Amino acid sequence: MQKLLETLLIGVSTGSIYALMSLALVLVWRSTRVVNFAQAGQAMLSTYIGFEIASRSEIFWLGLACAITAGALLGAGVDFFFMRVLFKHAVSGPAVVVAPVIATLGLLGLIRSIVGLIWGGEFKSIEAPASKDGFTIGQTTIPFSALNLLIITTVSLILITLAIIFQRTNLGLSLRASAYAPEIAQLAGIKTGRTRTIGWAIAGGVGGVAGMLVTSYNFLSPYSLDLLLVFGFIAAVIGGLESMVGSVIGALTLGIGLTFILNYVGTSLVFIGGFAVLVVVLLLKPDGIMARGKVRRA
Amino acid sequence: MIRKTRRRGTWLAATVLAAGSLIATALPAYAETGVTRGEIKLGITLPLTGAASPGYNKIGNAMNAYFKYVNENGGVYGRKITLIQKNDEYSPQLSIAKTNELILKDKVFALVGPLGTANFTAVHKSVGLAKRGVPSLFLNTGFSGFAKKTSYPASFMILPSYAMEAKIIAQFLKENHAGKKLGIVYQNDEFGIDGMGAFKAAGTKFDVTVPYTSGSQSAATAQTWVSQLAAGGAQVVVFFGVTSATAPLLAVSAAAKYAPQWILGSVGSDPLTLRALGVPVAVLNGAQTPAGNPSPNDTSDEYIKQFQEINTKYNTGTAFDDYVLQGMNIGLMTVQGLRAAGSNPTRKGLISAIETKGSSFASVAYSPLGYSKTSNVGHTGYYMAVMDANGDRKPFGGTVKLYTTDSGSGPVVLSTFKRPAMPAKGLPSNS
Amino acid sequence: MRKKIAFFILLGWLLLFIGDRVDELRVYQGAQIAMYTIALASIVLLTGYSGQVSLGNGAMMAVGGYAAALTLNKLGSPIWFAFLMAVFFSALFGALLGTAAARLSGPYLAGTTLALAVGLPEIANQFAFLGGVPGILFDVGFPPARFGEEFTQYKWFFWIATFLALLSLFITSNILQSRFGRTWSAIRSNSLAAELSGIHSSRMKILAFTISSALAGLAGAVLAMTISLVAPGAYTLTLSFALVTGAVLAGVSSLPGVALGALILVAIPEIADVLANSWGGGENFSNYLPGLIVSLLLILSVIFTPNGPGENLRKHRHNKASED
Repeated sequence: MQKLLETLLIGVSTGSIYALMSLALVLVWRSTRVVNFAQAGQAMLSTYIGFEIASRSEIFWLGLACAITAGALLGAGVDFFFMRVLFKHAVSGPAVVVAPVIATLGLLGLIRSIVGLIWGGEFKSIEAPASKDGFTIGQTTIPFSALNLLIITTVSLILITLAIIFQRTNLGLSLRASAYAPEIAQLAGIKTGRTRTIGWAIAGGVGGVAGMLVTSYNFLSPYSLDLLLVFGFIAAVIGGLESMVGSVIGALTLGIGLTFILNYVGTSLVFIGGFAVLVVVLLLKPDGIMARGKVRRA
Repeated sequence: MIRKTRRRGTWLAATVLAAGSLIATALPAYAETGVTRGEIKLGITLPLTGAASPGYNKIGNAMNAYFKYVNENGGVYGRKITLIQKNDEYSPQLSIAKTNELILKDKVFALVGPLGTANFTAVHKSVGLAKRGVPSLFLNTGFSGFAKKTSYPASFMILPSYAMEAKIIAQFLKENHAGKKLGIVYQNDEFGIDGMGAFKAAGTKFDVTVPYTSGSQSAATAQTWVSQLAAGGAQVVVFFGVTSATAPLLAVSAAAKYAPQWILGSVGSDPLTLRALGVPVAVLNGAQTPAGNPSPNDTSDEYIKQFQEINTKYNTGTAFDDYVLQGMNIGLMTVQGLRAAGSNPTRKGLISAIETKGSSFASVAYSPLGYSKTSNVGHTGYYMAVMDANGDRKPFGGTVKLYTTDSGSGPVVLSTFKRPAMPAKGLPSNS
Repeated sequence: MRKKIAFFILLGWLLLFIGDRVDELRVYQGAQIAMYTIALASIVLLTGYSGQVSLGNGAMMAVGGYAAALTLNKLGSPIWFAFLMAVFFSALFGALLGTAAARLSGPYLAGTTLALAVGLPEIANQFAFLGGVPGILFDVGFPPARFGEEFTQYKWFFWIATFLALLSLFITSNILQSRFGRTWSAIRSNSLAAELSGIHSSRMKILAFTISSALAGLAGAVLAMTISLVAPGAYTLTLSFALVTGAVLAGVSSLPGVALGALILVAIPEIADVLANSWGGGENFSNYLPGLIVSLLLILSVIFTPNGPGENLRKHRHNKASED
């Protein structure tokens, strides 16, 4: 019973970080119809910047704030200077379908190399903002720590903020409108280009938080966020790639599921478990768990 | 038809380009590869980045610092030593590619201190080190298989083998931890299996056995190791793996308030690296570990004192720890080997010089060296040490109690061996 | 057809002749170029002719590498049989993945295959017979004694790799000029129209996937041969990325371009090394410069010539000359 509870708690903590990454992917997908594989790279660069600030100032939260800012600027920059140029040039020929995918991969590689050139490949670690020691209840110590609690709280706050932006503000309305019907939104006077860039910026900021939180209990290296990207993608696919709520539910499900595999089956099955989930969802419910009989758009 | 001719044209253009790029040949400038009038070129592959890099990434620079010191003091018979370091990220595939570069492109005279059991096995096979006769000096691995002259005619070990280490730990367990519940965490490859075989032969029975795959170590996997150990009630836990696995193991145990008597294998027990990886120092306090060298902080030791001076001057800013010590010592051994090979060194000459004279080389470790015409065995023993709250180590029981043994069925014996003195100023003058 | 055979044989002789006249390092790189040529042909076939992006080529290469190594080690078979098994198992795997992939488009396939590429080491860890991270040795043996003492191991690799690369190119170019090739082109340019004219587009896509995987598997076995080892570290995401880059540079739908793409992939680390040395950069520099160059090339080419550098030229000629 205790183990069950532990697993559930750790699962939520892990899943909440996946939620941020999958949310970032969904935000970009909705506005641009591109799965942004460079999201891992953007998050990594933002995290390195956050790491520098956090380790110099010895204030984690200042580092986090900088990572969010850097992530947002980077996201906006990628859309403005990169994706727009790409869509202007790649208009015909056999590669037009695959160009955006390849381009984001190239960007991932580029950011990775730049980070490597600047910071090298050594593992960096950030002083965690809370204790990593498990809580002690009576006689027993559980692996769930103050840091895990803090991660869950931080992610919840961010999700609530996003929900308010999307539901209650004009910006949110424009974002939703341009995602679902760009032409109509444009006719209604929404500057879709600018709205899209803002969407990228939000995604970038959210990715920065995900990177900082993962790094607070793990190491940072030019490759350390690859797995986060993969799990974020799987979570987004579970949620159907269109729905923000779906992606969060998908991420929590994945986080809890993988922690169960970790604690009850074996460490080495974690990745295979995640991959199996992806394949099963794609084959049986390709529109995600939130689908309402809509045809999946490519 | 027009289209076809054009296609053929592209094919040809591609071929010509491919061909052109292939033509560029260089001839060696001296009778022996990697040796010129003024220079001896050596190479090393080691993980400078990646999961297994912490600690090991210092070895190359430490060797280089020692070589610089020798170069400034006359070199080896007037030749300066150049060391080329290549990053293999501890992956066998990269080791092979980088060793290929060292041998075919940089044309080094010999490899010194290549790292990792699986890596060196793969490199040796793939690059054909034996067939090419490239000397591989002082491997940074203790896999006992490398001692076989018939399979590895051009290689020399330096570390005591993992089998020796396990036999000595087994003896120590018998003498000091009899009757306790024993656990072991080991890396599931030649490295760990070498040790497991020796434990089995010595009759050590572990109540909890936790193998892990090289590269899988992380905070998450360490959780499962610790829960297995704790569930099995292990009171004394032997750890036979690399430092990047020691760190999460100890960190997670500390977080879970699980505190058995740790016996950390020599490979994964460097205090500075552990601390750099975020392991609370309190956990190290009291951990027992087999050690071959004196503590890197023991300035009363003539070797340590000299190496520390060299480190301060030629490796500025790097903390002097076990890895730096190991790198410098390999440098010292290498220079003695090159000197023994004479003023016109050849690869063959170097190998036979170490075979005949190597066992009398000066080296910081307390135990005897085992080089001969029939064996590549390096050091042959350990003493047990205890770590303190600062991560420093002191001999268990106060004085160095050196055990020596072999990798086979030989007994573990208490040794009274006296190591050769450090050459004056740390500059070998042997021939 | 006969002309084509003659051309390939001539090309083979030329390459072997060159192989006799150069440094051992160049011979080794020649073998790598041959390996990349096969791998790029596999991508060109899939992406260029069926319009799908897969990052799983690295994974398919791994299937081939492991199949070859296990065949050789467990059965003690001759080398040619090991290569045959590499082709067979990767084709089988490709057919399975293709069946799933035919239902997926764009990002789903790319994402799924990306996950496969990232997780490969974990999968290798899971099954003991795959040898975990250190991998398993793959030793094709010394060259036959009758070639003489001077015939090095690497030249032997070069001969085998070159032969397999030429054979693959020959077969692939024939497939592309056949009915299948034309059908793939039709599906790619307009899949709806192709369906309407009675083409089973999903069946054809699975076929493309299968053949592409078979080629990738062969490339994987050749790669394993050149490093005498099959390990997850040999088939990384970086490799998959590099292959996509090579294919884009070669022009995703140009088969003759693949040799050029392969050459560039082998040349980039060399060039980066020279640059790093002349700029006096440190360790970071030589480690990450090749990646930087590859990514920059990929981005620039996908933005400015998304269909390969040859495309603009081809379009130009295409307008002048009529279709053949």
